[in-house]
Amino acid sequence: MAARKKRGGTFTAGELNLTAMIDVAFQLLSFFIITSRPMDVLTNLDVSRPAPDKTVTADQEQPMIRIAVFTDGYQINDKNVTWATLANLMVKLAEMSKTQTIVISSVGDAPHESLIRVIDLCAQNGLKNVSVMSL
Amino acid sequence: MRKEEETYLSGNLTAMIDVVFQLIIFFVCTVSMQDDSVNARIQLAMAPHGVELTAKNPLQVIIDVDSRGRIYVGNSWVEAGVLKAMLKKSIADAHQAVPVIIRGDAKTAHKDIKRVMDVCTEAGLWKLEFSAYKERG
Repeated sequence: MAARKKRGGTFTAGELNLTAMIDVAFQLLSFFIITSRPMDVLTNLDVSRPAPDKTVTADQEQPMIRIAVFTDGYQINDKNVTWATLANLMVKLAEMSKTQTIVISSVGDAPHESLIRVIDLCAQNGLKNVSVMSL
Repeated sequence: MRKEEETYLSGNLTAMIDVVFQLIIFFVCTVSMQDDSVNARIQLAMAPHGVELTAKNPLQVIIDVDSRGRIYVGNSWVEAGVLKAMLKKSIADAHQAVPVIIRGDAKTAHKDIKRVMDVCTEAGLWKLEFSAYKERG
């Protein structure tokens, strides 16, 4: 809506001055661009608590892998391992069967992050049957 | 050019623009409030290989556990006994097992998470979910 000049050199009436509004709009735009940050992507890791399963008798027991989480390291089937070794072993175990039960036990003082890291390792290898216990 | 062709019809748009800005500000403010039912100070652990969360189950119960082991439901601090009663009521109302999501801070000691898991087990819930960040924004 540009101002138009008459032949005589005067401006016609009825113009809307948008300058102030555009200024404010750009201020708001810059404010929201600067203050916004990308949303966090969340995930939910499924675990079960070991429940007494009456359908399974002692001689039918499924093979299971026991992983223990300590404040200073990890154990797999009662053997101390580093994180790299544990990750390698899990890849090999997952190649054998993805339906086997993984029982993760954690000591009380271990941070929750360590437990999540092990559950995430199971998710990475497609192992779905994860149970969480406490030591 | 005749004089009458140079006269423009102009409406006063100021009020409309005011209302449009008010609406924009309203929606911007209310969109960020939808996640206020959880404790925003909890820093979850990273789990980059988990499945991305898309839909929310309306029956789900989200339990926050902060780094000091305090339990929150709906941004309110609750005792373990109260949590157990709440879970039992949720199960009774839904007539089925309700999905429980535990949002534990990365630094929370496992014994505090265990306390929550034990409460869930006592209420009859064996399947639990741990919330974690797949990607940080």
